[in-house]
Amino acid sequence: MSNRETITQKLQAMLPADDVCRDESCQAGVLFSAQVPLAKLRDAMKECDTAGYYLESITALDFEDTFELVYHLNCYEPRARVAVRVLCGHDQSPATVSDIFPSALWQEREVHDFFGIEFVGSPDMRPLLMPEDADCYPLRKTFGKVYAYHKRDEIYG
Amino acid sequence: MAEQFQEPVVEQIYTLNLGPQHPSTHGVLRVLLDLDGEFIIKADPVIGYGHRGHEKMAENRTYKQFMPNSSRMDYLSGLLYNHGFVLAVERFAGVEVPERAKYIRVICAELNRISSHLLWFGTYIMDLGGFTPFLYCFDDRENILDILDRVTGSRLTYSYCRFGGVNRDLDGEFISMTRAFIERLRSRWTDYHNLVTKNVIFIHRTRDVGVITPELARQYGVVGPNLRACGIPFDVRKSEPYEVYDRFDFVIPTGTKGDALDRYNVRLEEMEQSCRIIEQALDQLPEGPHINEVAPFKVKPPRGEIYFAFESARGLTAYYLVSDGSPYPYRCHIRVPSFGNLQVLTEVFRGTLVADAISILGSIDVVIPEIDR
Repeated sequence: MSNRETITQKLQAMLPADDVCRDESCQAGVLFSAQVPLAKLRDAMKECDTAGYYLESITALDFEDTFELVYHLNCYEPRARVAVRVLCGHDQSPATVSDIFPSALWQEREVHDFFGIEFVGSPDMRPLLMPEDADCYPLRKTFGKVYAYHKRDEIYG
Repeated sequence: MAEQFQEPVVEQIYTLNLGPQHPSTHGVLRVLLDLDGEFIIKADPVIGYGHRGHEKMAENRTYKQFMPNSSRMDYLSGLLYNHGFVLAVERFAGVEVPERAKYIRVICAELNRISSHLLWFGTYIMDLGGFTPFLYCFDDRENILDILDRVTGSRLTYSYCRFGGVNRDLDGEFISMTRAFIERLRSRWTDYHNLVTKNVIFIHRTRDVGVITPELARQYGVVGPNLRACGIPFDVRKSEPYEVYDRFDFVIPTGTKGDALDRYNVRLEEMEQSCRIIEQALDQLPEGPHINEVAPFKVKPPRGEIYFAFESARGLTAYYLVSDGSPYPYRCHIRVPSFGNLQVLTEVFRGTLVADAISILGSIDVVIPEIDR
């Protein structure tokens, strides 16, 4: 069985049917999208690691009511990208995945630089791209010139 | 050499600061090296000197206004980034593109890929101490810059693509210049191979140096020629064909060991494959308009998101755009290939000699402003 089928089945078994979405045409670039609760993030990422996926990017989105972390994973097969999405409140801290995917270490540092999200258990949270003495989180919608600050439902609802 | 490395027992660890102004660190990379004699115990890259906040800038600009930024991240393959951004927005907003424009974009993008690889080739050999090939490469690269300058109007930071086509049409002179260049580049391969590939000093500096195993590559998300050098034929142009890449006949060159020599061979072969793509695209170039005249002046993608991946000169690159339906992106994230490619060095550098570190760093082909964004 190919990697993409393995991971799809694993994540489907782990989550309620409403939280997963499969798009065979990959119109938005992602084959399989899974809304994972914060507590199950590490389990989902471990499944991806076992299935032979690599971590492509970690990024965060800032909404009025919550942060959303988006993990894009891919394997060396055509059209197999998986998105693991986690809602994380403005006062919550997700667990690090840098021990599962070493490449997450720098990407989590980058997210911390720009959004101020602390990753619990990360061995290194020094600023990566921002200066050492920076006292702001520039990609938050409360910083600088901003055109819109929405609730999550206004975009994805 | 790497076999002789043992865990240091003495307490005499020497910290060396490599860069950020060192000529072989290509841009503004600084690496803190912990040394035991000549061996590297720990490498800690320090980046961020070129951070300009492109992602924040994107939120304050319309999609069209952000276009010039796209080619200023990776300054060596600006047209590929520009192309990728335009493709992402076109797919997101559903803009139609005429056939001729698709071919023009592919031709220019592949020319840019060759120029990026040529510059890497020249500077890499210069890092290793050979100055002559650098001059040959820049001579060839100058031809590409002249060709692209003619049609795009700029030599490095191209902003040539438009939503729905390209800025200017190709003319007969462009086509004959490109064909002449490909012929000339092919006649140069013999010179390059005689100068560099068969050079015994070069082989000793690169063979079995900086080996990246497939498993290490997966853990660190290494992509592009560095990944293909360890034997995995993964190329976005084949796995998720965009534009008209599925109409061309080309192969993905791969290596076997994943050392610096394999990475060198893969890149050289990739230039030849790009030449093949350009030739086929020139042969198939259809007549017609070069831009969709009825494309909307103000691009407003629907609410939602898109993750668009494409192959830049350094590997898989992606634009992640989130739209709230307004002309301004709600969020624009750029996944850059050099990020993973540089991070893997923390692992690869362990136990190598300082002199090899320069060779490995060069062979990885990182562009720092692309990481810093």
